[in-house]
Amino acid sequence: MKEILLKGTNICKAFPENGTETQILQSVNVEVYKGDFTIIMGASGAGKSTLLYALSGMDSITGGEITYKNQKISSFSEKQMATLRAKEFGFVFQQTHLASNLTLLENVTVAGYVSKTASPKEIQERASRLLRQMRAEKAAGRLPSQVSGGEAQRAAIARAMIGNPGLLFADEPTGALNKTNSEEVLNLLSGLNQNGQSILMVTHDAKAAIRGNRILYLEDGQILDELTLPVFKETEAKEREETVTAWLSSLQW
Amino acid sequence: MGNKVIFKANIKRHRGALIGVFILVFLACGALGTVLNVWLNSGRYVHGELTRAGFGSLTAWVSGLTDARSLANEMENLPEVSSVEIQNLIFSNYTVDGQESDSEGQLILYHSEEIRYRFFTDDLHGYQEQPEAISPGEIYVSPSLVSMMGLTLGDEISFLIARSGRDKVFTVAGFYEDPFMGSSMIGMKGFLIGEEDFQEIRQVIQSSGIDALAREGAMLHIFAADPDTMTSSNLNQTINDNTSLSSYVEFIHSENAIAGFMLILQNAFAAMLMAFVAVLLFVVVIVLGYSISSGIEADYSNMGMLKTIGFTGGQLRSIWLAQYLTGILGGMAVGLAAATPLSHLVSNTTLTTTGIYIPAHLPIGWCLLAFGILLGLLMGFIWLKTRPIRDIAPMKAIRGDIGAAGKIKVSRTPIWGKHLQLGIALRQLTTGKRRYAGACMVAVLLVFIASMIGRMDSWLGPDGKGMMDAFNPADHDIGVQVFGELPMEEVEDAIRSYTDITDDYLLAMPNVAVNGMDYTANVITEPERFHILEGRTCLEDNEIVLTEFVAANLGVGIGDTVAVTGDSGSGEYIVSGIYSCANDMGDNVGMSREGYLKIGQDAPQLWCHHYFLKDTTQKEAIRLALENAYGGDIHIHENTWPGLFGIISAMQALMVFLYVMVAIFILVVTVLTGSKLLAAEQRDMGIYKALGFTNRSLRLSFSLRFAMASLLGSAIGLILANFLTDKIVSAAMKLAGISNFASAPSVVSVLLPALTVTLLFAGFAFLTAGRLKRIDVTILISE
Repeated sequence: MKEILLKGTNICKAFPENGTETQILQSVNVEVYKGDFTIIMGASGAGKSTLLYALSGMDSITGGEITYKNQKISSFSEKQMATLRAKEFGFVFQQTHLASNLTLLENVTVAGYVSKTASPKEIQERASRLLRQMRAEKAAGRLPSQVSGGEAQRAAIARAMIGNPGLLFADEPTGALNKTNSEEVLNLLSGLNQNGQSILMVTHDAKAAIRGNRILYLEDGQILDELTLPVFKETEAKEREETVTAWLSSLQW
Repeated sequence: MGNKVIFKANIKRHRGALIGVFILVFLACGALGTVLNVWLNSGRYVHGELTRAGFGSLTAWVSGLTDARSLANEMENLPEVSSVEIQNLIFSNYTVDGQESDSEGQLILYHSEEIRYRFFTDDLHGYQEQPEAISPGEIYVSPSLVSMMGLTLGDEISFLIARSGRDKVFTVAGFYEDPFMGSSMIGMKGFLIGEEDFQEIRQVIQSSGIDALAREGAMLHIFAADPDTMTSSNLNQTINDNTSLSSYVEFIHSENAIAGFMLILQNAFAAMLMAFVAVLLFVVVIVLGYSISSGIEADYSNMGMLKTIGFTGGQLRSIWLAQYLTGILGGMAVGLAAATPLSHLVSNTTLTTTGIYIPAHLPIGWCLLAFGILLGLLMGFIWLKTRPIRDIAPMKAIRGDIGAAGKIKVSRTPIWGKHLQLGIALRQLTTGKRRYAGACMVAVLLVFIASMIGRMDSWLGPDGKGMMDAFNPADHDIGVQVFGELPMEEVEDAIRSYTDITDDYLLAMPNVAVNGMDYTANVITEPERFHILEGRTCLEDNEIVLTEFVAANLGVGIGDTVAVTGDSGSGEYIVSGIYSCANDMGDNVGMSREGYLKIGQDAPQLWCHHYFLKDTTQKEAIRLALENAYGGDIHIHENTWPGLFGIISAMQALMVFLYVMVAIFILVVTVLTGSKLLAAEQRDMGIYKALGFTNRSLRLSFSLRFAMASLLGSAIGLILANFLTDKIVSAAMKLAGISNFASAPSVVSVLLPALTVTLLFAGFAFLTAGRLKRIDVTILISE
C-alpha cells in the first residue's frame, strides 16, 4: 500500500467572468503517492495547471479540501503556506522564473536560506553540489538573463531541490525548451525520482509524460482516467511511449 | 482626435502618479501662496497703518519736559521738518497677575476723533467700531499681551504710579491694533486710557514728587519735509544738532525701524517658510522627473506601437506634457484657492503674537507671477525629461527593447544567509539605484531643511536662552534694579537665602549720541563680559565697542574715533572692537563704566545689578520673594523677555508644520516610487513568495530599501546642514540684528531629522508594500 502524500478531495475552482463564474475544476478527487512521478495530462484549457497550483496551495480553491501528509493545507494561513513552500514543496515553472537580479547560484542559495533546513554554509555547499549535479555549475555566477533557457531551467530544478522537498511540482518544465534541453531536464527529473523524490508534473507532451509512473488525464475540469506504469527506464522509452500514446488515443487525445 | 484619445487613456493609466503630483504641487503652492500672502500683506499693512495712523518719519519718546509743544515748534522751525505731532503719554511699569512688565508701559490718552487705532472684537476674529470714549478704570491693550503675559478680557493691570502703594488698577475692556508697538517682539507696550484716568495719574505724579515712579512724557511724530531725499538718520542728526531734543529723548526710531520691529516675526518665519517651500518645489521636480522616467519605461512599447500608426515623437511628448499639466495646474489652482483660508488661519492664530490682523487678501499679481514662473520651469523640465520619447524606435520598442531607460546593471552585493532580507534589499537597491535616487535626494533636501530649522530651534532653546544671549550685551541669570534708598546688601542677602551668588557686575543702558545719531549705550563695569566678535573690548576709558550694524551705519571701523555725547558732556572715543548685541535690532554701543562717566551722569538708579546664581532653578522663587518684599522699589528681570514666548511658540508651530509637511511629502514620494517599483517587480515578488517568503518578510525587505536610500540621503542632508546652517542662518539673522548665530545642537537634535525622515520612508514603504498581499504567486501561472 503506497503512502498518500498529497490528497485533493472534491476540489473546485471557479473564476468570475462577466458576472458569472466559469468552473475550471469540478469536484476533482486526486491522490499523489510518496515516491511517485505523477503526471497530469490533458488538452489545453483542461485545467491541468490550475489543478497543479491548487494542489500546491499556490492558488486558492473555491471548494473541497487538500491535505498534505494528513494536514489540511487548504485552510493554512499565509504564514503556514509560506513555511510549507519553503520546507516541503519545490516548484519548477515553465518560464523558469528565476529572480532576475540574483545569479543562478544565489537563486538556489536564497531558496535554501528561506527553507532554513541547514546552516548557511551547508546551504552554499549543497547549492554548488546541486548545480554541479544539474550541470549548471559553469553558469552559477551568471544572471538568468546571461544564460541559456536550458541552463536556467536546470538551475530552477536545483533551486526547487535545495530544501529537500517532500514533493516537487513541475508545470510544463520543458515547455519553453528545445529538444536537447528538454531531454536533459527530463533526465534530471527522472534521476531525482529514481532517488526517491516525489514529483507531480503537468505536461501536454507524451514524450515527457512517459517519465511518470502514473498519468492522470484531465478533461473539462475532471479526472477522466489514469494510467499506471512501472518505473521509467531509458531502454524502455519507445515501448512506453507507444503505450501512453495508445492510452491517450483511447481518450480521444 | 487621436491625441485626445491617447491623452485620456494616459490620464487613466497614470492617474496614481498624476494624483501624487497634484498633491505635492497643491501642498507646495498652498504653502507658497500663504507665505507670499503673509509676507507681502503684513509688510504692506504695517507700513500702510503707520502712515494712516499718522506716525512720522521719526518718532521720539521724550520725558522730563514741561511743554512738549515748544520742543515740537523748535523742530518745526527746521526746513528739514514739515510738522511734529504730539501724543501725550505716561511711562509706567506695570504688573499683570504678579508678573512684572519687562519694559515700561506707555499709557496713551485716547481721543476718539483721531481715528488713529482700530479695535478688535472680543473674540479677536475681526474689527469692531471704535469706542466713543474709554470709561474710567478701563483700558485697551494690544492682543500680543495675551501671548506675552496671558492677559484676557476683564483681567486687571496694575500700573506703579508712585511709592507707598499708589498704584492705578485698570480692567481690560478690549483689544486694539497697535501698528507701532503691538508686536510681541517689542517690549514697550502702549495702553489706551480715558481722559479722566489720564488726568488723575498726572496729578498723582505731580503730587508725589520724588516718590513718583511713573513719568509724564510724549511721543513726538516728526515728519520730514522731503522724506524722499532725507534719510531718517540724517534727519535725526540734523534735529540733534539744531534742537534740544537730545536733552529729553528716551529713544528715537525711524518709521522703517519701527516697521522692522513689528515685522521681525513675520519676516523671519516667512523667510524660513519660503526656504522650506523652495525645498518642497525641488522635491516636486524630483518626483516629477522620476514619475516621467518610470512612466516612459512602462509605456515604451505602447509608444513604439503608436509611432507605427503615425504618431510623432513631438505629438507624444505634447500629450505627456498635457497629462502632467493636469496634475500641476490642478494642484496650483487648489493651492491658490487654499491660500486665502490658510492665510486667514495664520492671521487668526498669529494675532496674539504679531499684534496685527494680517489681511488675507491674496496678492494675486505676485501669486500669478510666482506660479507662472513655476509653471514655466516645470513645463520646461517636463519637456526635457520627455526627450527619450523622441528616440523611441517603433520596432525595437514593440520587440520589447525598452531602450537605455530599461537597461539596468545588476550589482553584486552579497546575499547573507543570516540577514537574507537585508541582503536582498541591498541587492535590489543597488541594482535599481536610479529608481531610488529620487527618494535619496528627497531625503537630502528634507533632512537639510529640517536639520537647519532644528538647529535654530536648538539654538533658541526651550526657554529662548540662545536668543536672549544674542540680545543681551553680557550674560547673567538675574538682574535687579533698585529705585529708592534700598541698600543692595539687603537685597543680596535675600538672594543668598535661596542660593549663592557666584558672580556679579553692573549694567546701565542710558541714551547717547554717537556722531550725532542716538543709540542705546550698554555701560558695564566689567567690559570683558561683552560678546566681542572682532578686535578687543573697551578696556580704557576712551574706548567704545560698536555692533557691526552701528559700525556700518556710521561708516567707522576698529581704530577709528567717534564723538559720543551723553547727558553731561561729549568726548572722543576710539572704536576698540565690534561686539554682538541684537537689542534695538543691533542699534547699540558698548562702553565701560569709566568711559561713560566722562560724558554721563551717575545715579544709583541707573545701574542694574546682574547676578550669576549657583542654583539657577531658584530664579523664579527669588524674583517673587524680592517683589513681595520690596514691591515698586525694585525691578527684577531674568534672562528672559515676554516676546520670547511668541518666538518660541511660533518656532514650535513651524516645527510641527514642517514635520507634518515632511511626512506628507515622504508619504506621497514613497507611494509614488513604491507603486512603480512594485508594479515592475511583481514577477520577482511572486517568485519570492513561491520560494516561501512571507508577505511580512517581503514588506520588510521592501521598506529596508527605502530605509537605506533615505539613510544615505539623510546623512548627506546632515552633513550639508552641519556645514551650511550657520552661514545661511547668520546671513538671515543679521536682518534682525543678530550677528553671532552659531548653532551647537545636541546629538538628539542633530539626529532627530535624519531618524524621522528615515523612519518615515521605511514606515510608508512598509505600508505601500501592503499591496504585496494582492500579488499572488498565480502571477507566475498567467505567463
